[in-house]
Amino acid sequence: MATRTLCSRANRIQTQLQTALQATVLEVEDVSYQHAGHAAVRAMEGGVANETHFNVKIVSPKFEGLNLVRRHRMVYELLSGELQSGLHALSITAKTPAEAANCAT
Amino acid sequence: MAAFTVSSPSPAPLSLPKFSKFATSSHASALSLYSVSNSAFLFSSETLRYRPLPKNRRHSAVVFALKKLSETELVVVSFESEGLVPSDSGVYAIYDGNGDLQYVGITRNLSASILAHKKSVPELCSSVKVGVVEEPDKDALTEAWKTWLQEHIAATGKIPPGNESGNTTWVKKAPSKKSDLRLTPGRHVQLTVPLEDLIDRLVKENKVVAFIKGSRSAPMCGFSQRVVAILESQGVDYESVDVLDEEYNNGLRETLKKYSNWPTFPQVFLNGELVGGCDILTSMYEKGEVATLFKQ
Repeated sequence: MATRTLCSRANRIQTQLQTALQATVLEVEDVSYQHAGHAAVRAMEGGVANETHFNVKIVSPKFEGLNLVRRHRMVYELLSGELQSGLHALSITAKTPAEAANCAT
Repeated sequence: MAAFTVSSPSPAPLSLPKFSKFATSSHASALSLYSVSNSAFLFSSETLRYRPLPKNRRHSAVVFALKKLSETELVVVSFESEGLVPSDSGVYAIYDGNGDLQYVGITRNLSASILAHKKSVPELCSSVKVGVVEEPDKDALTEAWKTWLQEHIAATGKIPPGNESGNTTWVKKAPSKKSDLRLTPGRHVQLTVPLEDLIDRLVKENKVVAFIKGSRSAPMCGFSQRVVAILESQGVDYESVDVLDEEYNNGLRETLKKYSNWPTFPQVFLNGELVGGCDILTSMYEKGEVATLFKQ
């Protein structure tokens, strides 16, 4: 039986983070193609940069009172399944609604 | 007239063009030219080759405009005498306290170069002669340099000590980078303590530790490279560990992920605690927090 995932990793990331973090802003970007020459990617089947590197930008009230390390850890824990199944790197911007309002985007 | 070739490698940010193998008819020894290493007046980045002067070359006019070394006024070098030496491009000759010529160099900023030499080797920089070169392309500057050197050699039969091949007195050396730390003596050596303990000890014994992919001089990953660049630019004294080194750091990657409860690299530790990865370091750098935090 073909085990084709119906959801792409980007979708899965989006869903997991949205529900758990009640994000007011959530952007998930697959930038694997930018790391196509990467050793870990080449070792993968076909050497195709597939869903290995993502940028996520999250604005969530749940980050209130947490320093950057703890915010990032929270995100990593939510995505631990992905990290064990081929997600190689995650570039995270994690802000509270107040911080996001202060910065011009 | 003696034939000579002058060649220079392409300079890295802190390295310089080097001219060697200047042989006169009376001297078989090689001469070297080093201009001051400073990004503010980095010399040309192309390989220089001496080409025989065609009669109508512009810089032969420059050489005629340049005063002879012996006819140029000697100026005492001091930190107060900044105004006496112009900031133009040109050739300079540095004399020590005995009035002996130590070094002939070229630069795009006479004043800055001479002050830098004065700071670096004050005992050799007593006075200086400068010759401003109009329209200072690299050929013109080289010509001026050769003219003065030839004049000096013809007059004294000697090459200035600082211009001898291999002499690096007048060269600002790039600081050599620390080598990376290794966790174990090698794969073949049986560990007596678990790897976690070795990691724990390492991050607690060293103030700043960066676990990166690759070595600090050759990072193998863009994120690691950025972390190294940030730490270096802020002058942080840090230890680096190559997590890709399977010989001396075998198993480090997986063990460290569990130890720090952090799934990616690079990882930067301060006083035994994880500060974060590339994103966090970058964010701190942008806020100007890196120096204050890491260099307390």
